Amino acid sequence: MKNITDSFLCFGYWLPAGSFGFNTDILATNPINLSVVLGVLVFFGKGVLSDLLDNRKQKILRTIRNSEELREGAVEQLEKAQARLRKVETEADRFRVNGYSEIEREKLNLINSIYTTLEQLENYKNETIHFEQQRVINQVRQRVLEQALQGALGTLNSCLNNELHLRTVSANIDMFGTMKEKNN
Amino acid sequence: MNVILCSINTLKRLYDISAVEVGQHFYWKIGGFQVHAQVLITSWVVIAILLVSTILVVRNLQTIPTFGQNFFEYVLEFIRDVSKTQIGQEYGPWVPFIGTMFLFIFVSNWSGALLPWKIIELPHGELAAPTNDINTTVALALLTSIAYFYAGLSKKGLAYFSKYIQPTPILLPINILEDFTKPLSLSFRLFGNILADELVVVVLVSLVPLVVPIPVMFLGLFTSGIQALIFATLAAAYIGESMEGHH
Repeated sequence: MKNITDSFLCFGYWLPAGSFGFNTDILATNPINLSVVLGVLVFFGKGVLSDLLDNRKQKILRTIRNSEELREGAVEQLEKAQARLRKVETEADRFRVNGYSEIEREKLNLINSIYTTLEQLENYKNETIHFEQQRVINQVRQRVLEQALQGALGTLNSCLNNELHLRTVSANIDMFGTMKEKNN
Repeated sequence: MNVILCSINTLKRLYDISAVEVGQHFYWKIGGFQVHAQVLITSWVVIAILLVSTILVVRNLQTIPTFGQNFFEYVLEFIRDVSKTQIGQEYGPWVPFIGTMFLFIFVSNWSGALLPWKIIELPHGELAAPTNDINTTVALALLTSIAYFYAGLSKKGLAYFSKYIQPTPILLPINILEDFTKPLSLSFRLFGNILADELVVVVLVSLVPLVVPIPVMFLGLFTSGIQALIFATLAAAYIGESMEGHH
């Protein structure tokens, strides 16, 4: 009884204290229970907490890595696309320059060839005209000759008698004779 | 006779103990106000714990978080989650408020349950969790009240007061009453829980100093965490309620 009472009483001793100080009563200040509680808390809490934080860290790492990969991929694609763009641009430039010169050349060629063709056609035309003229002239000549001959033949048939005939023949013989002499 | 005297003496002492344990305060006079110094001291310790740990962690930030940074980010995410589920879309500006409430109450409660405050002796009263004192919890609850009034008024202007006559004007008195019951219930819930926890522990320690109080201390830890969460959640819920749109 006395012991119990004493153990109760000892709590009361520090109560009316008038100033700041430290209470060294181990049972009253309860450090044993507190340390047990703290120890259990740390022991169990540490595992849970570190698990939780590890998971979170892993998640963050994964996210960072993923986004980094995505970024790299995107940069790569961008570079590829830029290279292709550059290539296409130079090609287009080349094509443009080439095409222009080609077109110029083609034009000149075409113009030249057309000129020559034109000239040829002109020549043909001229020749044809010339030939045609020639032919017509010949025809006209032949007709005139024929008509003259027929006229002459008619005249001869109508008004030729023996005497005239003989005269004409002799005149012609003379003419031929002089022509022969001249030639000699 | 002697035994009876002794036991009377003992009972008197016991009465002294129990009379002293509850409701004794260490008063400071600051500008005509009497303040509970033990609450201020423990509040300062709690604030110091929060500030120092935060500054230590925040001083050297990494992209891939170290242990401390990871933990603090986790806590921040948790608080953000709570405010998001309670407030909704526009939870952003309220995360600091909710976070302050939660962290202060949580660290206060746990400091009361884990730190050996009683080693330090005061001229009067004793050190305990700041939330052990009704003044702290009332202050926190009134801050919550101001916060939700501010949230509602800044969101809707004077149209905020139209919620008092919804769904019918008959409910006006009850709606007005709610504005008083909210901080009241918040403060008393927190205060009562923490005080009860600590009292149970103290009484058990005074009866059986070893081992027996340990389960109760764990229960106290659990309740303390839950109370902090409840306070933060309710504060966020009130803010969200006063900000939510028209139906």
